[in-house]
Amino acid sequence: MQNGKARTEKKTFSRETSVSIDIQSDPAIIWKLLTTAQEYPRWNPTVISIEGVIAKGNKIKLKSALDPKRVFKLQVKEMEDGKKLVWGDGMGTRIYTLKGNGRGITNLAMSEKIGGLMFPLFASQIPSFDGSFEQFALALKKEAESIQSLSK
Amino acid sequence: MTLELFNNEFHLITGQLKSYLLRITASVPDAEDIVHDTYVKASSKLDGFRGESSLKTWIFTIASNIAKDNLRAQKRWVENVSDICREEAMSNPAFFGEAMHIRATSPHGAFEIREHISFCFTCISKSLPLEQQLCIFLKEVYEFKIGEIAVILNTTEAMVKYYLHTGRAKMIHIFDGRCSLISKEGICHQCSELNGIFNPKQKFQEELVKIEMARAAEIADKETLLDLRMKIVQEIDPFESGASELQLHHLEHNRNVMEKYV
Repeated sequence: MQNGKARTEKKTFSRETSVSIDIQSDPAIIWKLLTTAQEYPRWNPTVISIEGVIAKGNKIKLKSALDPKRVFKLQVKEMEDGKKLVWGDGMGTRIYTLKGNGRGITNLAMSEKIGGLMFPLFASQIPSFDGSFEQFALALKKEAESIQSLSK
Repeated sequence: MTLELFNNEFHLITGQLKSYLLRITASVPDAEDIVHDTYVKASSKLDGFRGESSLKTWIFTIASNIAKDNLRAQKRWVENVSDICREEAMSNPAFFGEAMHIRATSPHGAFEIREHISFCFTCISKSLPLEQQLCIFLKEVYEFKIGEIAVILNTTEAMVKYYLHTGRAKMIHIFDGRCSLISKEGICHQCSELNGIFNPKQKFQEELVKIEMARAAEIADKETLLDLRMKIVQEIDPFESGASELQLHHLEHNRNVMEKYV
């Protein structure tokens, strides 16, 4: 249990950052937030924009606050409704998983593994994801809990 | 339920239903057609009404389904609908000729700022995704509960909350950037422009202070200002108010412009 604190595991040919956070919200709300591309910039300070439709097999273009000049062209590799979303490119893979505890709390786990044979050559130029992951998880928690708390 | 009882109940909510349909379609003929189709469909399926929801919720469900089928085939409007339609109106002398005639001759031809705020809300709400627009009107103007809206729109309470939250956030963002009544950075001054045209002897600022939303502009937060705006919408019957004919004429103009634009 990380409770919003990111951690990174470094290896010679790869690096993996992960974060996990408990959110008091229906998983459907979190899933909708994670899969609605045009809404990201409104609630998520780590994302400048996402173009495209987040659906299995689709390609999306993501601009991250970590590297605003670069456009990441990603493919949505896996979508299991309300449970798991995977996107990535040749360099890395981002995985989101949701698990409800049946008592109104949903755990979000997010991880990204980047690497490859050439990874050691440019590893030092890639910024740390830790801060961005923590911001992402907290922003998602805040937004989803705000929606969940709407009065009847 | 007997047909007589249904007819009585339907009659009681027809005004609300028609105004809801007008606000989501922006079309008087469409709103009237859907009210008619809803009556025909509901009255022929009275055996299917089991009282699991209120009759009003059931009727709004049927009406919303018919409206959604129509609206899904249409493109959504744009956030700057007012700018685009203003330009079209300015280049169309007939528009202001007709409007001035309505203003001069109709008992429902007054120009009132509150009415225009309500009209503007209708137009801008059509730039939201359909589900967000429907949820906002059903919850904030027609006072359905979230559970009832979930029934009307055949979705879950969680999704209704999502649509409401995101729809509200977008409306706040749009009005904050556009509406000069609540924001110094607001680029739209249509209320004062039109008031100057239709009520040349009126002092706009004096009229403005009569509106709670405008008075609260500098002290209230954005959520509260949206609530005050929606309170104005709620208080106005777009078919029966003193300014209804003028505003419906304006709405028809905007719809025609948007149908060509989007």
